[in-house]
Amino acid sequence: MTTLDRPVAVDTAPAASRGVIGSSVTRKEDDRLLRGDGRFTDDVEPAYLLHMAVGRCPYPHARIVRVDASRAWTLDGVKHVLVGTDVRAATEPLTVLRPVPGAPSLPYYALAQDVATHEGQPVVSVAATSRHVAEDALELIDIEYEPLPHVVDVLAALEPDAPVLHPSVLDSNLLAANSDGSGDPERRMLEADVVVEGRFRINRVTALPMETRAVVAEWRPGARELTVHISSQVPHLIRKQLAETLRLTESEVRAVASDVGGGFGLKLGVFPEDVLACLHAMALRRPVKWVEDRAEHFRASTHARESVHDYRIAADATGRILAMTDVYATDIGGWNSPFGSAQLSSVVLNGPYRVEDGYAERRVTLTNKTPVGAYRGYGQPEVNFAYERLMDTLARRLDIDPVELRAQNMVKQQDLPWKNPTGAVYDSGDYERCLRMAAEAIGWSAHRTAGRVPRADGRIAGIGFSSFVERTGYASARFLARRGSQFGAHESVTLRANRSGGIDVYTGVSTMGQSAETAFAQVVSEVFGIDYTAVTVHAGDTGASPLNTGAFASRTMIAAAGALREAAEELAAKTVRLAAARLEIDAAHLEIAGSVVRRRDDATVGVPLAEVFTTAITGQGIPPGEDPGLESTSHFEPSDAAYSFGTAAALVSVDPGTGEFDVERFVMVHDAGTVVNPTIVEGQVRGALAQGFGAALSEELRYDGDTGQLVNGSMLDYFVPTAADLPPIELLHTEVASPVTPFGIRGVGEAGTIPPGAAVANAICDALADYGVALSSLPITPEAVWRALADQAASGTPDEHLTPTPGDLPDGGVGY
Amino acid sequence: MTANTAGTELLVELTTTVNGEEVTATVPPRLHAADFLRSRLGLTGTHIGCEQGSCGMCTVVVDGEAVKSCLMLACQLDGRTVQTVESLATDDRLDPLQQAFKDAHALQCGFCTPGFLMTATALGYQGSCPSRAEIREEIAGVLCRCTGYENIVSAIENWFAGVPQPGSGDETGSGGRAGGPR
Repeated sequence: MTTLDRPVAVDTAPAASRGVIGSSVTRKEDDRLLRGDGRFTDDVEPAYLLHMAVGRCPYPHARIVRVDASRAWTLDGVKHVLVGTDVRAATEPLTVLRPVPGAPSLPYYALAQDVATHEGQPVVSVAATSRHVAEDALELIDIEYEPLPHVVDVLAALEPDAPVLHPSVLDSNLLAANSDGSGDPERRMLEADVVVEGRFRINRVTALPMETRAVVAEWRPGARELTVHISSQVPHLIRKQLAETLRLTESEVRAVASDVGGGFGLKLGVFPEDVLACLHAMALRRPVKWVEDRAEHFRASTHARESVHDYRIAADATGRILAMTDVYATDIGGWNSPFGSAQLSSVVLNGPYRVEDGYAERRVTLTNKTPVGAYRGYGQPEVNFAYERLMDTLARRLDIDPVELRAQNMVKQQDLPWKNPTGAVYDSGDYERCLRMAAEAIGWSAHRTAGRVPRADGRIAGIGFSSFVERTGYASARFLARRGSQFGAHESVTLRANRSGGIDVYTGVSTMGQSAETAFAQVVSEVFGIDYTAVTVHAGDTGASPLNTGAFASRTMIAAAGALREAAEELAAKTVRLAAARLEIDAAHLEIAGSVVRRRDDATVGVPLAEVFTTAITGQGIPPGEDPGLESTSHFEPSDAAYSFGTAAALVSVDPGTGEFDVERFVMVHDAGTVVNPTIVEGQVRGALAQGFGAALSEELRYDGDTGQLVNGSMLDYFVPTAADLPPIELLHTEVASPVTPFGIRGVGEAGTIPPGAAVANAICDALADYGVALSSLPITPEAVWRALADQAASGTPDEHLTPTPGDLPDGGVGY
Repeated sequence: MTANTAGTELLVELTTTVNGEEVTATVPPRLHAADFLRSRLGLTGTHIGCEQGSCGMCTVVVDGEAVKSCLMLACQLDGRTVQTVESLATDDRLDPLQQAFKDAHALQCGFCTPGFLMTATALGYQGSCPSRAEIREEIAGVLCRCTGYENIVSAIENWFAGVPQPGSGDETGSGGRAGGPR
């Protein structure tokens, strides 16, 4: 164990809250959205607008022999056609924002060059007077393909005889292998009384935001100004990538993400169609719009999670964990998308459990499928399923209560901060408390005592747990630099007073449902003292916000809160100084309260904020030594990542004859540190749980091995939960302030995606313990349970497993 | 409804009542109703999410019933009465259903919200007061990827009950009235 010299976390009492932090004010975003007055990208409709449609490769792997677009050019209404050579001549390859360490760059252009590596990859595009005409024109383009051998299974792609996707830069489909670890886990495995291991297959899913991707590009050549409205979580990174790819300076690009209809990690960075819309617009001097249709979305956005984990846990006879290892192949698809496949499975390898010897090896694997990108949770649900399934296996092997086994091994509150084997520093928390609360709420001890007695209808009830930690934010720009990431760990805001007595907040964080406008205004109101209603947040426009990072990795609030606090403090100090001069009262006697600056001891003596702000803005009447203006920009980087944590418990009844099951109760105990807005936090947890249940129980993108085709790429065939599908969910919270973030906030966006799969699987395996059922794949369907009942031998210990790459493990790896 | 041709493309004339106003338009027969509402009438509160009738983003009320407007052709609106999300609020005041959504935190990104509002509006026209389980079934034709639905169900339940939620803020001065289905 590594104990770091850091201040220990404060106790579990809620952080003292003043003003509006900690209160459930209603949201800034709601009124426009409720009235149908949001401005999503498809709602932007400039004059003389043209529409783009994209022709895509129908094969999983094919050489493009010939493209003849001559007939398309002749169709009435067609204005412009782009083929691969046009794109090659006019652009640089698309850039990657979060490269895989050690991986070569894959030369990925907006249109396929010689070879397309997945079904749905763009091959040609057309701009026309309507989307109908543009799609008609695609039908007239003659493309000759030579289908090539393909591989869609992630383990098969690593076999020596697999067709290689990118032979110009790689000898195999292994893009890179990354190892991180500490100690001597192999030795611990030999010394252990018991080693449990399993192969865990995680399904390919997709974020499926209700708003698909969309872009509107406008180019004014005389002004050299490319304005791009885009549905994105990261407008400032869009600007960077578009400038790089289109050979423009960043000064020439403005990216605007107004309302974004859900992101969940999918809308991180530039996709090929964004570049194509810009190219058409620049060629035509007319605005060009592309709105992804849902069939395109399933094939040409990003997928997520698919991976195979070979996980081992070694323990002594008392249940003390001695080592944890995970060698896993993660599917990145046909190309490296801007964020690529997950690495957080390595970061939180051991979950909430204390272990000194452990490693994770990630094998990033190319397959002829849609590229994989970030998705809420991003590696954490995957590895949680593996280690939490094995914790139950270990408990059963040693005949220890699985709750007690977890409690025994959890990192204790007094041991935090603590560095895990892959270098992650867990900041603070009371993990065991969440576990005990979940066990009590779900009725574990009564269930454990009663045993597995079938009910009158033959169904058997089981209870399963999943305990987790969730990394929120990043462990500094230094950490990101070591991984080659093309962005920082900070957030930034500009606060500007206005003559109406309000404060305008400018941020590059776009509005995508996370309620940043509301939470930002709450922090400004709290720190400055101004009314919440007098704060207006302007989000997502690179032309009107300081350079920032963006809305992802559960990091917005833990970074932005610091910037908001600094900027608001600076603005408040000047406001009070100006008011002091105006009132001829010492500044120490003044406070800002709502819409006025007033005497602390006499509320009748004061001056309206509107007057003070006007004084500052005009510079008329400011005291000597003060500059005119009232504006502040701050950048803030938290000192480290904050780790949220919790435990979920599921009560599931199973029909042992058919495998049909019902999640009757689901309890989630969660800690997100200091809560800025309880209603919003609860909404985030519930929403993430719904996505977690979808991935755990019903969602799976399936490819046909023979044809390489996605067989269920529509909303008719890919089952996200509806309102009628979700189990009853009970939420409980603890509130341990984080010592590494402003106000003690932890990120909250992703936690709910993590535990549903393991908790439900553990519950089913508990119910069916007498049948020897051991689930090891997601999604968990009645058919999967029925098959496990029918063929117990097919589950459990694999016949083969991925062995770690020989060589010495870097101590702690490059660190997280 | 009459048909004529402009150039080589067949065009169809339709007359429909949208949000209380009679509209006459000439449209290509392949234009679907959601595109018509958005791009011809500028009613961009009706969103498009799949164009397969699966996601429910484009739900509007036609002759009192919830309809997925991506599965209707514009010309099928001829002679019918259409209600979109833009019809709900009056001046600066949210409609009680919208207020119930706001009070219950029943929306996050807001892209699906018009679909749920119009589905619930049509449900209100049916006259009966549904249980939570019935509400869940009734709104299952509209997908939401943000909220987990719980608060949407609560909002609709509260709206049927006609009660404002305790603690509902009114920071924008936009409402907070009691009220149920009309």
